[in-house]
Formats: sequence, C-alpha cells, structure tokens
Amino acid sequence: MSETRDRVHRHLDTVGLMQPALHHQTHAPYPDAIDHTLFKAYTRSPHDVGGEADVPIVYEEKEEEVWELNTFVLCECLAWRGVWNAEERRRRQNVDLGQTQYLGLPYYGRWLLTAARILVDKQFVSLTELNDKIAEVKKRYE
Amino acid sequence: MSKPVYDRTHHEKKAKGVGDPQCFAGQGGTPKFKVGDRVRIKDTPDLFYTRCQVYARGAEGVVTELVYESPPAEDEAWDNTENVEWFYSVVFAQKELWPEYSGTFGNDTLETEFSERWLESA
Amino acid sequence: MSGDHEHKAAPMVEEVSDFEVLELAVRELAIEKGLFSADDHRRWTEYVHTLGPLPAARLVAKAWLDPEYKKLAVRDGVKASLEVGVDWVNGMPTGFGTPSDYCNLRVLEDTPTLKHVVVCTLCSCYPRPILGQSPEWYRTPNYRRRLVRWPRQVLAEFGLQLDPEIEVRVADSNQKTRYIVLPNRPEGTEGWTEDQLAEIVTRDCLIGVAVPKVGVTVNAKRNIHPAKNPVHH
Repeated sequence: MSETRDRVHRHLDTVGLMQPALHHQTHAPYPDAIDHTLFKAYTRSPHDVGGEADVPIVYEEKEEEVWELNTFVLCECLAWRGVWNAEERRRRQNVDLGQTQYLGLPYYGRWLLTAARILVDKQFVSLTELNDKIAEVKKRYE
Repeated sequence: MSKPVYDRTHHEKKAKGVGDPQCFAGQGGTPKFKVGDRVRIKDTPDLFYTRCQVYARGAEGVVTELVYESPPAEDEAWDNTENVEWFYSVVFAQKELWPEYSGTFGNDTLETEFSERWLESA
Repeated sequence: MSGDHEHKAAPMVEEVSDFEVLELAVRELAIEKGLFSADDHRRWTEYVHTLGPLPAARLVAKAWLDPEYKKLAVRDGVKASLEVGVDWVNGMPTGFGTPSDYCNLRVLEDTPTLKHVVVCTLCSCYPRPILGQSPEWYRTPNYRRRLVRWPRQVLAEFGLQLDPEIEVRVADSNQKTRYIVLPNRPEGTEGWTEDQLAEIVTRDCLIGVAVPKVGVTVNAKRNIHPAKNPVHH
C-alpha cells in the first residue's frame, strides 16, 4: 500500500472511534436500578454471541505460537487424565472468566488461564505453589 | 476444609473403546419427541451456564434427527452425569429467528441441537 | 464491535510473554503433581501433528464416486470416517475419542437446492480428527456473531453468492456433534479419480464457505498473522 493509502485507512479507522457516547457508570448500584433486561445482560453467558450485531472485518489465518499448541495439548491431557472434561473446561473458559476477559484476552490466553485455574480450584496445587512457580519460571528469563 | 478425592479414571472406564456420547446410549429413557415434530424452545432460567442459545428461545422449529443421548451440557459442565437426556437436531426457518431476514431468501434455515429439557411441543 | 484500531503493545522482541511463562508454569506443575506425564504431552502433540483436512476431502471424493458410501456418510459419519483412516473413538491416545471433539461426526449433504455452512456460535467446536485445527477466522466472535444471522452477507465476503431459491442452512455445532459439509460435485470432473476429486475439496469447502472448483486446490488467499515463535510442521 502506498503511504497515502496507508494514511487514508489509518484516518478512517481512527475517526470511526471518535463518536459521542453517553457512558453509564456502574459502581454496585441499588437493586431497584436493575430491571429484568439488565439482570439478564449482567448474568448472561458471555460465549452466547450468535445474532449480535457486528461489522464485516478482514478474516485472517494465523500462525500458531508454540505456547498455543502447548496450551491446547495441556488442556486435552488434563481431560484425558480426568482432571476435567471438555464441558467443564468450556464453562470455565468461555463463561466463568467473565465478559471483560472473554473479549479482552486472546483465544488461547483464555484456555491457558482456565487450565491454571482448574489446578487450583480442584486443589491439585495451592495458589501459593502456582504463583511461586510463575515467579521461578520468570527468573529463568532474567 | 479437607481435600476432595477425585476418581480421575471414571470417564475413561466408561468410555474407553466405546466413545462419547456413545457411552451414554440407552440411558436417556424414552425420547419425548420424534423426527418431524414441531417444537418450541423454552426460555427457562439459565443462570451461570447454558448451551441453549438465547437467539433460539421462543422460536419454533422441526425435529430432524434424534442425534444421541448425553448428560445435558449444563450438568456435564460440573461433571454431573447421572441424568442423561435425548438430544435433538432442530431446523428453524431463518425468517422465524430474525425479524429483518429478507423474504428474498425465504428458504434459508438454521440447524442446531438441544437437549430434551429445552423443548416443548409447538 | 470488532475491527478496531489496534493498541500497539510494547514491543516484546526477545522477551518472553506472560503467556509463555504461564504455560511453562502450568505444564511443569501438572507434570510434577502427576496429573499427566511428559510422555502424555508428547504423545498428544504428535497426534495433533497428524491432523489435517485430507481425510475429510477423501471422504467427500469417495462419496461423489460411490452413492452407497455417500448414504453411509450421511447416515453414520463415524463409520464412514473409518474408511478414510479416521477412527473417532480409538484413533487417538485416549481410546475414547478426543476430549474436545467427541465421537459424533455428521456429514451434511449439499444438494442443488441446499447449501450448508458451519459455525460454532458458543466457542469454536470443529471436527479436528478429520479436518485438523480450525482457522483463526472461524474462532472469532465476529464470525460466530454474524454467520447465523447474516449468512449470505458473510458468504458473499468469502466470494460465495447463491441463488435466492437455494436453501442456505447454517449448522451451529453447539453440543457434541461435529460437522463437515459434503459439497456438490462440480461440473467438469467427469471421469476423475478419487485423488483428483479430493484435491479440489479444500478445508474452506468442508466448512462450507467455499465450493469446490476445477483447478482450485487451495483455500482463498488471506493474510496470515505471523507468530513470534511459530510452530514448525
């Protein structure tokens, strides 16, 4: 793409974000502020996105990271050896994680966090052990 | 709090050489619906987890296949596998699901699966 | 809405990512605690490396050549898979199918008046044992939001436009069934061998976002988002 075309598309993308918005802040409201529609929205299953409005985007392929393949294998091995079944994983990974992490994190980032969490939730490791291990692994790269 | 003891081989014991959902075959009882039945998707409470899509609730479709027996996802997601249900494939007319779906494409359909608890006769 | 201007994360050349650190930590802990063995991990990795779309393409080619096999494929996808070397139950180290893909393949037969296309709106369920790993776009919230409601628009973006009278059927694999599409056999393939036919049945055809064409043996060209530390096959 030429520099000019580059600039054109950067501009179109940027101005698309410059829209007025009426923000509705929420800091644990009173119960009478939550009607059925809001209750349903806040307690939704984040993974149930069929039919939501969205715009055409460029669909891409992606090279797989080594950590992503390892994460997939990790999750399947945990199910193979009975730590969880795939449906438990999906529930935790695609719903329990919550709306923010659901759309904020990469696809395999959610798989990975969920695998870390199951180890702690089922008491195979303590949270202390997990965080100590993370610190220890980080140290190897210093 | 004491540590629970997990039998990590319980699914393998049940499903090895057999497969999943095959390992639940015969446990769903008599199916309530048959191929060709017109059904409506119930909008019952779905707190914490469901695999019954919101876009289908209240919509009417036709059963095209009794696909297998399995614990419903809502239970299997907590490894509660005692109650097994029949699962059905249901086809909907797209113009039933989406108010703006163009009449030009009036033959278009959508097919998806539901466990028995989500279906009622229409 | 997706498609936004990207926040550029701080450059991480040579630096290990939070994800890489966590993956190592969890894998090592799981092995240390005896949840699975390093050998299990290696064996499953090897299994994943064997997966790809060729068996599914061969299933379609066989079905085009043999009407009885086609009937079997539509009636019992798991049984039909055996004839292309895919055993949904015993063909992987578990001996009970893959944990995430189960053992209920359904082959969706297109006809001159019916076109199928597959999505998993709830996550990205995909028939890995016969088709390999899913493409990135299939996993996006965007595809999952839009295909069920605006299928013709999404298909048009893939370059596929169908006559209005044709029934476009979206299959949403929301439970244990996994789908592949058995597309219509295109004109100009009379007398072709199974190998020649399989060659034009691409992964995109098996998902349903493309149709087989004489002379087209690869998926449509798309940008490939690079990995920092890519898997080599």
